[in-house]
Amino acid sequence: MSTPNTYTRPIAGWWRRNPFYRAYILRELTCVAVIVFALELLVGLWRLVQGPEAFDAWRASLAQPWVIVVNCVVLALVAWHAWTWFEVMPKTLPFINLGGRRVPDRAIVAAGAIAAVVASLVVLFLFLTL
Amino acid sequence: MQVVRADVVVVGGGGAGLRAAIAACEHDQALSVAMISKVVPMRSHTVAAEGGAAGVVRSDDKLELHFEDTVSGGDWLCEQDVVEYFVAHCVEELVQLEHWGCPWSRTGEGDVNVRFFGGMKVQRTWFAADRSGFHILHTLFQTSMKYPALRRYDEFFCADLIVVDGRVRGVLAIEIATGEMVLFECGAVVLATGGAGRVYRQNTNAGTVTGDGMVLAYRHGVPLRDMEFVQWHPTALPGTGILITEGCRGEGGILVNKDGYRYLQDYGLGPLDPWPRPKAMELGPRDRLSQAFWHENKKGRTIQTPQGPAVDLDLRHLGAKKIHERLPLIAEVAHTFMGVDATQAPIPVCPAVHYTMGGILTDARCRTSLEGLYAAGECASVGIHGANRLGSNSLVEIVVFGKVAGVEAAAAARSAGRDRAGEAERMAEAQAARLLQMLRVDAGARPAAIRDAMMDSMEAGVGIYREEAGMRATCERLADLRARTRRGLLLDDRSRAFNTEWLSAIELLGMLEVAEAMAHSALERRESRGAHQRLDGFEQRDDTNFLKHSDARSQGDDPPRIEHGPVKITSLPPRARVYGGAGKQAQLS
Amino acid sequence: MGAAQKRKIRIECLRYQPGVDAAPRTQAWDVPFTDDMSVLQGLQHIKDHLDGSLTFRWSCRMAVCGSCGMMINGVPKLACETFLRDYLPAGVLIEPLTHFPIVRDLVIDQSDFLAKLESVRPYLIPAQPRTVGEGPYRQTPAQMDAYYQYSQCINCTLCYAACPQYGMNTHFTGPAVLALLHRYNEDSRDAGKAQRMEIVNAEDGVWGCTLVGYCSEVCPKGVDPARAVNQNKIESTKDYFRNLLLPRGSTSR
Repeated sequence: MSTPNTYTRPIAGWWRRNPFYRAYILRELTCVAVIVFALELLVGLWRLVQGPEAFDAWRASLAQPWVIVVNCVVLALVAWHAWTWFEVMPKTLPFINLGGRRVPDRAIVAAGAIAAVVASLVVLFLFLTL
Repeated sequence: MQVVRADVVVVGGGGAGLRAAIAACEHDQALSVAMISKVVPMRSHTVAAEGGAAGVVRSDDKLELHFEDTVSGGDWLCEQDVVEYFVAHCVEELVQLEHWGCPWSRTGEGDVNVRFFGGMKVQRTWFAADRSGFHILHTLFQTSMKYPALRRYDEFFCADLIVVDGRVRGVLAIEIATGEMVLFECGAVVLATGGAGRVYRQNTNAGTVTGDGMVLAYRHGVPLRDMEFVQWHPTALPGTGILITEGCRGEGGILVNKDGYRYLQDYGLGPLDPWPRPKAMELGPRDRLSQAFWHENKKGRTIQTPQGPAVDLDLRHLGAKKIHERLPLIAEVAHTFMGVDATQAPIPVCPAVHYTMGGILTDARCRTSLEGLYAAGECASVGIHGANRLGSNSLVEIVVFGKVAGVEAAAAARSAGRDRAGEAERMAEAQAARLLQMLRVDAGARPAAIRDAMMDSMEAGVGIYREEAGMRATCERLADLRARTRRGLLLDDRSRAFNTEWLSAIELLGMLEVAEAMAHSALERRESRGAHQRLDGFEQRDDTNFLKHSDARSQGDDPPRIEHGPVKITSLPPRARVYGGAGKQAQLS
Repeated sequence: MGAAQKRKIRIECLRYQPGVDAAPRTQAWDVPFTDDMSVLQGLQHIKDHLDGSLTFRWSCRMAVCGSCGMMINGVPKLACETFLRDYLPAGVLIEPLTHFPIVRDLVIDQSDFLAKLESVRPYLIPAQPRTVGEGPYRQTPAQMDAYYQYSQCINCTLCYAACPQYGMNTHFTGPAVLALLHRYNEDSRDAGKAQRMEIVNAEDGVWGCTLVGYCSEVCPKGVDPARAVNQNKIESTKDYFRNLLLPRGSTSR
């Protein structure tokens, strides 16, 4: 049964009240960085379709200093975005037992992050050598 | 005044109350059952019980052995026919809990595991890690949600029984959130309100354990039986009294004094080896262990901690793996409240009041002398614990006798007619007015001061060891405190909504009466038996004069009248109560 | 050490009296304390000796009953296992758990939580009925391991105070209740998963969760409700496709 005369506190500004919440909001906002990267790649793809001159012009535009700076920031945010996905990955998996013992969450996070780094290095290697 | 109609009212939402309510619903699906609790049920003190619940399952165990352990553990003050019924019904209730989802700890093959416990000859204590009470309570609470006929009234404080023409017709309760008075009219009432350990300063109990139900029955003429038998749990954290389960000792933990010496061997509980073994050394009964501490302290061999004298409970030899599997809550508690890592250092412990063996006098079917009133669990004295309770008998008692009380109340409610029009309401209004008057007192004693004085007096005069002068002094002090409260308790909080100061004051008035029953019963028992030990010429058990129960009857404002009644002996005539000895090494699974 | 020589700490509490106060205010006291004193003991000192009207819930004092959840310097904690010594020298601000309506002072209205608890059928629904005479179910330690940590919930509702989704939308079933639902689904003795799916699948069921994860961070018993909820997102998705391919009709009554 509910009680009369209770007081409900306003929820507005909730995310400012706690460092954990602020980190969460920043995590969610990193999707903007992902969108920026995705748009850049789409533009690049479109330029590629338009022919080698258009594509080269696009690549030149990427070499501008301010674009490099922005892309570095975006890269950092995207990397953090990826990392936060690995951080929550254990929560989406059922318990994993190896040799009768529970695999701790940090092992799963580490495994995911390492796999991502290895995959990135492989792609980079292929990109540089092909 | 708001009136709620139900067939059965259960007061108290702990293990016994929930089991009674469920039993009443299952017994007769046409009945309405109202469960009133001053806290939401999962906060009830059952939740803090740790060690386990006893039931005979091993092939090398027999009901007769559980019976013998219980009767000798109770120093022959048990109603033996009730104990016979009890031991025969433990397992079915524990299996019922398992069917309802209780996560009893298992052997490798998936069968229910059992362990040793103090005073028990064979392993028969079912356990859910070291949080058995927590799991039992949550299982019962969650299961209770299956029954639509069971309506819960959470955070309603039961302030009085309404008795018309010698029959309970209902209860008067305060809706805590609003302070409104509600009359619950019913055919039968089950009291399952728990013990009264908070009358002492050092105790393992929650703040709710204030003997409310005992006082309700007591004020209406029902005797409180064997109130002098208060159990000190030998291992609680000094200062807070937070419980460190007996299960630690069941797993092989040892107790040493400041010299690192296992002192229990000096008190008739030895020899040391083999260890662990049942009913010896640290697996002796609780009263003996608490008494041994008292003596060690007198001899100056206890460890002085900032919170008072203590001894060391050493679990290190069990190994980190076993500690974290079998005793995880203890490891957590030791770390949180004492900063001790149980795998690296011993835990300082000392006795604290833990359980009230005595309570509302009932027969084997949980009936009290007041028609329509039933009682089960720690608030009742159904006759199984006698002068000292064995660990793990209480968690199973609440379900065995919770069920009995529920069934009996359900049967009685069916046949109860309705009250003479309005009489119950008139009585409720009068009592409500008296309770509300407490909010208008302008001068009087402060509740905290009265409570502190009561607790200190009980510790001093009615402690582990008692003497006539000390008990008399406490009796006088309690009479004086009661007189002071009659002149008024001054509250800061005069409001109605969620006024916990007012409720604490109401509880305090009751605690003083319960404390009086304890102190006077102790004074009148001129012998030593179980948890009641005297140093004033009555150091021995006296079966000739005192193989009897103490019945305390309220005399209103005057101190209680104490009478003695017979004990039912069936198959086990009294003999010396011995522990220790050579015995076999325990096979701990 | 006499009371006069004890150190003091400033304890500030939210005060609110229903029907009297239009809005909450705060009040502070200087409370004598020792190193081993919990926040709860500090509150009890205030109530016993300084202001008897300060209202808060408490019971077991050992973090197993779940009564004393409060916001302590803005973080949801159990007052009985939070220690005053960790809040020197500035002192401590104590408020009732966020996201719940305040009944009085530090007491919140838990009726929504209790109603939700009942809604998920938090009891064993076995495949076949079994009599007591047939004895216990067999359950290996490995089978118990699959659900045991979710059974440790003490219903303290710190996770609801932590969950901003619940704060913004109280229809969200919420962490502890979904963890309890998961506890029963994962119990080898239970067969009631299908009956609980409707709650799981609802927009205010698991899909109300955006994996903030703060619930698991504040949980005093290591229940990890975030995991329980997000496990069930997979279950819910599987259930959606199963139902699409092999409709079973509504389970609502």
